[in-house]
Parts: sequence; structure tokens; C-alpha cells
Amino acid sequence: MTTATVDFASVFEIAQVVFAAMVDGDEGLLVPRDDGDDSDDDGAGAGIADPVMSWVEVHGPYSGRTAVITGAETAHALVRALLGDGDAPVTDADLVDAFGEIANVVGGNVKALLPGQGTLGLPKVATSLPPTADPLVLTLRLAWRGEPLDIAVWLTQEEEGGNR
Amino acid sequence: MIRVLVVDDSRVMRQIVVRTLRQAGYDWEVREAGNGVEAMAAIQEDEPDVVLSDWNMPEMSGMDLLKTMRANGFETPFGFVTSEGSPRMREQAEAAGALFLIAKPFTPEAFREVIEPVLA
Repeated sequence: MTTATVDFASVFEIAQVVFAAMVDGDEGLLVPRDDGDDSDDDGAGAGIADPVMSWVEVHGPYSGRTAVITGAETAHALVRALLGDGDAPVTDADLVDAFGEIANVVGGNVKALLPGQGTLGLPKVATSLPPTADPLVLTLRLAWRGEPLDIAVWLTQEEEGGNR
Repeated sequence: MIRVLVVDDSRVMRQIVVRTLRQAGYDWEVREAGNGVEAMAAIQEDEPDVVLSDWNMPEMSGMDLLKTMRANGFETPFGFVTSEGSPRMREQAEAAGALFLIAKPFTPEAFREVIEPVLA
């Protein structure tokens, strides 16, 4: 099954490279989270207080989305790190732009793991995710600089030749 | 001095591209545009020496910008800087006349690897 290429190892590697190159300058600040809850049933973003989500959707042979979910304070810290603005206040426009761009780059690289042609949507940022018919296939429960941050992937392989 | 037009709908990504150009040693004169439509207007007003463009943008995509440039007689050296760096995307970019495709996230070394051969 081709979705097997989208697994924890491949998406975590993407996330580490993205955070190292765009946010931190060094690897090692984004790590798997060990908060004593290893349930697979909690869903993306479960347990993250005051969450903010950024996501991109993919359409084509596969449909789905890749989302980055973290708390609002952590999202603001991420944006400040990305902008290199120290303690400057983060505007809503900055949050949509910078936090959305993180999902865009992670999602673009996840899309590159998938076979076939497809299109990537524009990044969106909100405090909740719109409903989707695509199944959640992967949740990475991570910590960035000690704060919880989830990366989640929903995917459906469109029916073609009965190979789903 | 080389004059570059950086095209991306994300202000922060334009900022990162410009910062990375400097880190790569390219002290170029920079103009910015937020989508393909703005970029085409900027090119028609004053053609740059090189265009670095995102692919996926509102109003007009980077691919449509490249095709519009060529259709209007602008042979400006063009490179994509995009989050989609699959072999298929690279083939499409090359077929449309792009000189290179830099995948996000990128490093100054990645910029130098594709830009140095163009400058040579």
C-alpha cells in the first residue's frame, strides 16, 4: 500500500529538517513527546490547550491534509523564531503567514512522498479544523522547545483500478 | 549588481529567501512581489536579471507566471523556490523553461549549488 511511505519516520524527518532550516537553525529542538499517553485514539491535537492549527490540503490521486497543531503561545513563539523578531508582538497577519508557511512546507514535502500527480492547496490557519471525510492516518505527538506540537496527516487514495 | 525579483505570497518566506541569498553571498538588489500578477507587472515595468518564484500562489501561480513571461517575450532567467520538490515537479519546471527548482526548506548551500552554474 503506497500510503505506507507516509509513516512516522518519514514525516518526522521532514519536520525536523523544516524546523532546523526555517525556525531553529539547529536540529534537536523538535523531538517526540513523551507525556505518558501513548494512546492512538486521542486524535490530532488532543490535550493541547488553546490550540491553533495550520494546514494544507492535497487533491489528486490522493486527497487529504497535513496539519500542524500547537498551543497559541507556542505558535506565537514559533512565528517569532521564524521571523527572527525576538520578543516583538505577533500580529494575526504574521501568525497566518508564518505558521501557515510551516504547514505549507511540511505538507509540500509530505505530498512529495506520494505517488502520482496532485495539487497542493494554499495554507490555512484557524483555531479548529474543518471536518473532513479523509481518515486520519498519522499523528506525530512532538514537543518543540518542550511545548506540545502535533503533526497530523489525513489521506485517502482515490479509487483507481480497485487499488485503495 | 544583479537585480532579482522574489515572488511569494508569504511575506515571511520572501524574507527568508532574501536572507538566504545574503547568507549564500549574493548581495543582489532585491524587489518583491506577492503573486504572479504583481510579478508580471513588476517585470513589464522593469525587467530584472533573475526571477525566484514560489509555485503555489493565489491570483497567478509561479508556473502561470513563467508561461506568461515567455508568451510576452521575457526570457528572464527563472527559478522556482517551492515546497514541492518531487521529481515530477522538477520535470514540469524544466519543461516550462525554469533553470532550477529549489525545494523548501533550503540552505544557503542549496542556493549556491543551483545559482553558481547560472552565473557561470
